[in-house]
Amino acid sequence: MKIKVLAYSICIFVITLLQSTIIDYIKIMNVKPNLLLAFIVVVAILRGNVEGTVIGFICGLCHDVISGKMIGVFALLGLYIGLLIGSVNKRLYRENVLIAVFFTFVYEYVFYFFNLFLRGKGDLIFPLKNVILPEAVYNSVLSILIFIIMIKLHYTFEEASRTSRKY
Amino acid sequence: MLRLFRNKFFLLALLTILLLVLIGVSSRADSPVNTVGNSLSIPWAPFQKVASFLENKIGGIFVYFEDMKELKRENDELRAKLDEMEKETRDLNRLREENRILRETLNLKDQFSDYISIGGNIIAKDVGNWFNIFTIDAGTKDGVAIDSPVITNKGLVGSIYQTGPLSSKVISIIDVDSAVSALVNNYIVIVRGDINLKDQGLLRMDRIPVELDLKVGDTVETSGVGGIFPKGILIGKVIEIREGDTDLNRYAVVEPAVDFQRLREVFVLVDKTKNTETGNGEK
Repeated sequence: MKIKVLAYSICIFVITLLQSTIIDYIKIMNVKPNLLLAFIVVVAILRGNVEGTVIGFICGLCHDVISGKMIGVFALLGLYIGLLIGSVNKRLYRENVLIAVFFTFVYEYVFYFFNLFLRGKGDLIFPLKNVILPEAVYNSVLSILIFIIMIKLHYTFEEASRTSRKY
Repeated sequence: MLRLFRNKFFLLALLTILLLVLIGVSSRADSPVNTVGNSLSIPWAPFQKVASFLENKIGGIFVYFEDMKELKRENDELRAKLDEMEKETRDLNRLREENRILRETLNLKDQFSDYISIGGNIIAKDVGNWFNIFTIDAGTKDGVAIDSPVITNKGLVGSIYQTGPLSSKVISIIDVDSAVSALVNNYIVIVRGDINLKDQGLLRMDRIPVELDLKVGDTVETSGVGGIFPKGILIGKVIEIREGDTDLNRYAVVEPAVDFQRLREVFVLVDKTKNTETGNGEK
């Protein structure tokens, strides 16, 4: 358990740091990927809904603290996306890249709809093809990298829980 | 009661409600919740500082190895320009002295004399794609207060949105939530960020009076109306005028004088005369 908390903390810390500094340099078409979201998706797919929800909440909170206008928006969104993916992960094929595309799409569109569209800051179509779609594709590519790292951690956690279950 | 807390659905509902309340409370930029939230980002600050320092260094190396011939040509050009500038500086000095004397005789107040400037480095950019908020390494410890204007030597950058003890968040003028009252040819207009133009780093000018004859290339500067920005800071220049179906809904595209992609250091102007109790209560 301790190892798990430590591993997750380090992962989230490093990802948030990367996301807030050097990610600006790998923009494609003026769109940057969201590593935090990719991390939530991968964790929720691999580890189920409880860990997905908790990690979603913490990652969202980090996003809010680093560069949010209000505290809690991304935490709420991350919490539910983690719960959603974690709850349906048994029916999904884990290596499928399209999962990341689809859920990035949902996450960003929900955020855009409630935070910008309803306040009259833009129309419905423009951000769809100019921001959300490139970001979803970009995110899914990076989620493969995160997946490769997380699958190793996943097996370590599994191993740890199996040894601790000995009677 | 304890069993209730073990119920996952109850916990989820509780957390959701708590977060909704938190969003509501923190939606006012100067609420104390935001100060607490910003304090949570302190552990990242030193690492972000190191990262942005390395960014500068590595970026500098790439520039260093760029074409030497180009540099030489540019050097000659700059030397010629420098001679010209020196001549101009002499003229300007004379004019400045004259201006000072005339101002003194007219008793005009200098707008900028009420402000002290605090330097800050940008240590973190926006995490998402929608907004344009960045973090600088100057906070309430250095005297930064909410709503202080942020500038560079080229022009207006934005204003302080939230403050923390060691860092503060700056909302730039190209952010969708930002609006600045501006002056073009002595007419007051509104310059705001736009979601469609943000990616190109451009601004949108609204509420252009019908009688204003706007031309491409007109310079836009702050009007001083609204109380956040002092008068006369350069914002940018008009690069395109888009006509709507009537005169009332035409708008213009403004290119900011500041290049937001290459922004590294900024200055925060803090008003000495303003009472800081509207900002954080620590002062």
